[in-house]
Amino acid sequence: MSDFGDVTVIADQIQNDIRPVTFELLGAARELAGKLNVKVRAIVMGHNLGSIPATLIHNGADEVYVADQPELAEFTTLTYRRAAISIIDSFDRVPHIILCGATTLGRDMAPRIAAHYEVGLTADCTELDIGEYEHKGKADPAKVGMYHNCLYAIRPSFGESLKARIIGPWKNPQMATARTGALIPCKPDTSRTGRIIPVKVEFKPEDFRVKVIETVRKVSSGTDLLKAKVIVSGGFGVGGPEGFEAVRDLASIFQESAVGSSRKAVDAGWIPYDHQVGQTGKTVRPEVYIALGISGAIQHRVGMGNSRVIIAVNKDEGAPIFQFAHYGVIGDLFEVAPLLKKEFQKSLAAAGAAR
Amino acid sequence: MSDGLKIVVLIKQVPDTSSAAGVNPDGTVDRARAKKMMNPFDKFALQKALEARRDHGGEIIAISMGPPPAIEVLNEALEYGADKGYLLSDRRLAASDTLATAYALYKTIEWIGGVDIVFTGLQTTDGDTAQTGPQIAERMGLAQVTYCETMKITGDSIRASRIIDGGLQHVELHVPALITVANSASKLEYKTFANVYKLKELSRDPKALETRVRAIDLDVIGANAARVGLVGSPTVVGKTWKLGEKGGLCKLFKGDAPAHEAQSLVGALAADGQGIEELLK
Repeated sequence: MSDFGDVTVIADQIQNDIRPVTFELLGAARELAGKLNVKVRAIVMGHNLGSIPATLIHNGADEVYVADQPELAEFTTLTYRRAAISIIDSFDRVPHIILCGATTLGRDMAPRIAAHYEVGLTADCTELDIGEYEHKGKADPAKVGMYHNCLYAIRPSFGESLKARIIGPWKNPQMATARTGALIPCKPDTSRTGRIIPVKVEFKPEDFRVKVIETVRKVSSGTDLLKAKVIVSGGFGVGGPEGFEAVRDLASIFQESAVGSSRKAVDAGWIPYDHQVGQTGKTVRPEVYIALGISGAIQHRVGMGNSRVIIAVNKDEGAPIFQFAHYGVIGDLFEVAPLLKKEFQKSLAAAGAAR
Repeated sequence: MSDGLKIVVLIKQVPDTSSAAGVNPDGTVDRARAKKMMNPFDKFALQKALEARRDHGGEIIAISMGPPPAIEVLNEALEYGADKGYLLSDRRLAASDTLATAYALYKTIEWIGGVDIVFTGLQTTDGDTAQTGPQIAERMGLAQVTYCETMKITGDSIRASRIIDGGLQHVELHVPALITVANSASKLEYKTFANVYKLKELSRDPKALETRVRAIDLDVIGANAARVGLVGSPTVVGKTWKLGEKGGLCKLFKGDAPAHEAQSLVGALAADGQGIEELLK
């Protein structure tokens, strides 16, 4: 056993719908825990959680701490905060790392947990790693020194086209939230075993200051974006809602495809928010991402930059998208998209015939 | 609350990256030269503050933290209708991360005292963390609503709807509370001529202006300097990379014959061993 605390993941679930970011966090936690030679612990809070704790083990957790109580049926900041803190306090040692989703749940609760423990929290990470860090700055002599096994919390700096590695080795737990779609889950393994530890949380009256009247959820069609192998996205260059016909038309020839969009096109009201890819939309990682009339601002890039192959069509040769696309055509998307469709259809037909 | 609500709204001045000023060709920002603006997310918070005061009376106190020139953003808040502004400005605050920033702002709100509601934007365009609001709430022991879209105040009770993954959560709570406002909430109304004129009049007399908008430092609010700035921040930026560095890898096809370009692109995919049929297997 190593000298470090474990890597803890706080599961992200709404009304027993476990969110995909949870599995991605567990995948990243396994990598980090492997480097530190420690366990992966998961915390899950809710009511009538059924098989969820076992699912967390199948997806990479070694131990799952389960708070299954009626008070936790609906997410509220203060009840979930209390449950998470009491579970963390019950651990034999302070976790080295705590990970949460950068979701409406994680971004609500994680900052409070970090402030409670007076520790650092890095928001919206896209990569996590372990490494060393030497602090040389003299402004704070107490920080100077060489640190090993630090959490590297890596995130894009949206205001600028920079990626930053944030470090905080001075006090554990080192905390981070990660965006959905950014980290890689493990392959689920139903033969994986682990410990499930039920926990009873003692609440305080002030934990119930926010009452949930109603939760309204609809299954979003935009979830297709997260599963699609091919995403064809339209940006401001499509010119209007009717311009998305060209986008849909190209997408239609691929099985498992979806239509995406840049924020500008969503803000203009040309396509619903569900389709938005990027900083304030979804993070996607398809096999093929085809960007039509998208300039490729950093806000869009962070949502799709990890796609396997990026193809861009844009009139403007100076558009930033050509700095990170793998293939590009300079031209009018309305001319080029139908031609690409024809060429892709030819390739697909030829491959089908050869089979 | 016979005198209405005591409302605080937190406002940050951020670089305007849509303006060419101060934006280097590689996309990095020269903060000293960059044009500045009110954080767009904070405008939704200011609108919620204006609506709350319109319905229930009271006063709106805008608070910002930043270097002395950031006082502009508070003047702007007054033009939109805020009653007062305080700029927390102190060299010792430099390099504060979210935890340290939240401490400094919490001490400022506590110094003001008796606050019923704190409104913040969901996040800022330069930091993008969405953490400072909840961290202030934690320090103050307040209930919070993040991602708030709509809200209605009746007496001392608040009904609010907040965005959750795939839907909305409708909640009820009481003041005091901290609310972070989503950017899908109602847009900030225009400045009124009366407010703009009033500020212009005030600006002629620095003493009079100071009764409405003024800078304060850590000593005024009684904050512990060891808990802010680099010393009070548990995190530092260890390293940065430029994102544009991958540039030049793109295989570009251009010319006068789009059909030829489309064919060349699809051909290049296959030649690189990633034909579309391979990618979709």
